[in-house]
Amino acid sequence: MKTLLDRACELMKQAGASYGDVRIRQDRHESLAVKDGRPEHIAMSESAGFGVRVLVDGAWGFFGTHRLEESAVEDVVRQAATMARAAARLTEKPVVLAPLAPAVAQYETPHRKDPFAVPLEEKLALLVAASKAMRGPNLKLAQAFFAGFDTRQHFASTEGARIEQHIVQAGGGIAATAIAGGDLQVRSYPNSFRGNFCTGGYEYVEAMDLVGEAPRVAEEAEALLAAPPCPEGRRTIILDGGQLALQVHESCGHPIELDRVLGMELSYAGDSFLTPDKLGHFRYGSPQVHIAADATCPGGLGTFGYDDEGVPAQRTPIVEAGIFVGYLSSRETAPAIGRTSSGTMRASGWNRIPLIRMTNVNLLPGAAGRLEDLIADTDDGLFLVTNKSWSIDNKRLNFQFGTEMCREIQGGRLGRVYKNATYTGITPEFWGACDAVCGPEAWALWGTPNCGKGEPGQTARVGHGVSPARFRNVQVGVKA
Amino acid sequence: MNTAEREARLLEIGRRVVQTSPADETEVLLADGRDFLTRFAGNQIHQNVGAEEVWAVVRVAAGRRLGVATASSLQPGALDTAVASAMAIARASEGEKDWPGLPKPRTTKKVGAYDEATAEASADARADFAAAIIAAARKKRAEAAGAVEIEEGSLAVVSSTGVAVASSDTRVQAHTVMACGDGSGYAEGVSARLADLDARRIGQQAALKAARSRKPEAVPAGRYDVVLEPAAVAEWVQHLSYLAFGGKDFDEGRSPFSGRLGQKVTGEQVTIWDNALDRRTLPQSFDYEGMPKQRLTLIERGIAKAVGTNHFRARRMKKRRSTGSALPASSGYECLPLHLFMKGGDSNLGQLIRDTKRGLLVTRFHYTNILDPMKTVLTGMTRDGTFLVENGEVVGPVKNLRYTENVLEALGRIDGLSRRLTLVRGPCVVPALRVREVQFTGTTEF
Repeated sequence: MKTLLDRACELMKQAGASYGDVRIRQDRHESLAVKDGRPEHIAMSESAGFGVRVLVDGAWGFFGTHRLEESAVEDVVRQAATMARAAARLTEKPVVLAPLAPAVAQYETPHRKDPFAVPLEEKLALLVAASKAMRGPNLKLAQAFFAGFDTRQHFASTEGARIEQHIVQAGGGIAATAIAGGDLQVRSYPNSFRGNFCTGGYEYVEAMDLVGEAPRVAEEAEALLAAPPCPEGRRTIILDGGQLALQVHESCGHPIELDRVLGMELSYAGDSFLTPDKLGHFRYGSPQVHIAADATCPGGLGTFGYDDEGVPAQRTPIVEAGIFVGYLSSRETAPAIGRTSSGTMRASGWNRIPLIRMTNVNLLPGAAGRLEDLIADTDDGLFLVTNKSWSIDNKRLNFQFGTEMCREIQGGRLGRVYKNATYTGITPEFWGACDAVCGPEAWALWGTPNCGKGEPGQTARVGHGVSPARFRNVQVGVKA
Repeated sequence: MNTAEREARLLEIGRRVVQTSPADETEVLLADGRDFLTRFAGNQIHQNVGAEEVWAVVRVAAGRRLGVATASSLQPGALDTAVASAMAIARASEGEKDWPGLPKPRTTKKVGAYDEATAEASADARADFAAAIIAAARKKRAEAAGAVEIEEGSLAVVSSTGVAVASSDTRVQAHTVMACGDGSGYAEGVSARLADLDARRIGQQAALKAARSRKPEAVPAGRYDVVLEPAAVAEWVQHLSYLAFGGKDFDEGRSPFSGRLGQKVTGEQVTIWDNALDRRTLPQSFDYEGMPKQRLTLIERGIAKAVGTNHFRARRMKKRRSTGSALPASSGYECLPLHLFMKGGDSNLGQLIRDTKRGLLVTRFHYTNILDPMKTVLTGMTRDGTFLVENGEVVGPVKNLRYTENVLEALGRIDGLSRRLTLVRGPCVVPALRVREVQFTGTTEF
């Protein structure tokens, strides 16, 4: 490894690179799906290779290869430099990087049980038991999931950085699908779309008590079939942790990506309403809203030691008492706002360039106590539980979310169940209507393992810590 | 190494995997290719990337117990490890009672999907393409963002039942979003050959639209007749495919077509089929089980006719053969039609607009997602050029709107289709449409 890294750095300098880095990366992924008490789909994948990124004549070039051998280095560096020179033909503003002291370091995710060392039979036994524990007259699918990720990376830069990282991630969940009379309803635990995820080991999955939660999940799926649709209207709503995490992801996490703000993602997912002129004074939300991006958060799915430019993981204030104060940034973009990198550049593999990605973008706990306390404090409202659908415009203003389940709140108590609930709003108005956030006792981390960005497409695993929160006068449902 | 040599090499590697595998049945899917992408924003290139990748998906059956493993190397050691992993998975699995065995070989048709000049296009050629788009932007004082992507590669499937097929293809996709003040425009091009795409025309189309969409006025949410350009139509058709046309969801009762084949599901104007052999799309001769691609009618004059299957789902559904819609064995989704076509009519985009008394012209949709899978209710935003049409004329740009709509019902309200079909990203070959009373449920600030 060391020889390949050193050789790549030497060749990048010889090719005229003002800066260059090389990442050797090996990924392992295991995915287990059990359906109706039987293993349905089990897949293991391995991927290894290296990628070289160079800055030549003020422009970037990148090339990656599966040929993990020293003999490939010269060709790979040459191709990256060729790409950079072609880009430089159409580069009016040369890239200038924010300064960085090169690190020589090692980092490993704390974990007790390596998810890949736990026997397949043991993991399947847990999922089979959870799946079998979901039963009901209309239950057509009882699914249980596990996924493990193991990433080992060696990073070197022409500035002298040498960083080794080993990141272990795991997660899982269950889902019950009830179908009758042309209606389909799903309940999931602990989150939809295959569960919840963290940096950590298999102990995280064991602690979910998937088997113990399974009967409730199945009952709720059945109950949804019989439930009335959620009525339309302006309502007070409380969002549970899973739904609120995605709300933070879509309406705060993406619009604070500085590459996106500067137009670099315009042709794909769009840009952002949080333009640099708003930094430091724009009212993003109510005074109850405090948000920070924290790559150091223990257990967060977006936790690491160093980003893929070698910048140390850090905690960056994003919203303080409702005021927008910070971005996710890189060495290239940070100078545009007069700052240094906030350490958020990550690539999905050896074959992709790093992009600004969310770390753990967390809504900080408030003072509204436990979820039960917040519900008891609400006279008339709706409690929206577990994400089902999401959509947001290309500046991250108009959003619409759907949830698996909705419970009426009357006189501080949970009441009837509604299905097919949706709510919609405009980002700063919505966060401006947040009048209560539960406290540290209700705060939990949620992992989003499928965050898409970039061309060619990349999928990142990111995290969001939240406590349930309440929002006033929100449009629920669709006006016919 | 030319494509014939590369295909032969993949087949040789595949045969070795199959011959040395201890499994009762073994199938290996092998790929070797390169992907280059030049990305621009603010009228300059900001990302210029490439990668060469190989991958293998090994599927084994030990009796009726199945295992799948993938590798990113074609070296014997890596493939042996993948086979061993797949065997370990099979041993840990329960038998699949409906397992019909791997499919037997069938004759596949060659499709001319590989263009050597495209495969050899340089970084400078991609920069030239981007430069032509950017030049068109500058003429309208607009700023262009976008990407030019060129992929080339070979694919092979080899199995213990005697399947041994290989093919190669090239793909080019270029698109741009142009910002002109507060206006925005979009255009794209897709082909197997770089020479087929006209960068200047793509740029001019987007620039014109961006210039015309400046200073948009707000219109209230509500029901509007809409003229949908092909990119918007493709978004609906592809989501419909994901919801309704996959054999696995159909078999499990999760598709809106479950139990409804032969029934009317939408309007008579709607005929949708899959055909990877048609040169108007990005052709492909076989699926990821090595089974021949074929024309498959999915909806005919509003009647649900079929769903896409792989060998396993076909047998579960009492069909002798698959429809050639298998995805790689590593995909939990199993099977899906990937080369969709929608039948056109006798109109054209201009006429559709002229026939509209009051409505909206929609360039494309953004961030479409599913609200109710069985009822095909989708939501999404308009983007990059939305215009008000009155008395047959485009009278001005409007701010973007959110739609929330049952797509099968909405397609039942089509009252005009262009004759011309356009290949858009997906790939998907579709006409422009006019649809009555589409439900827009929200507005935004731009």
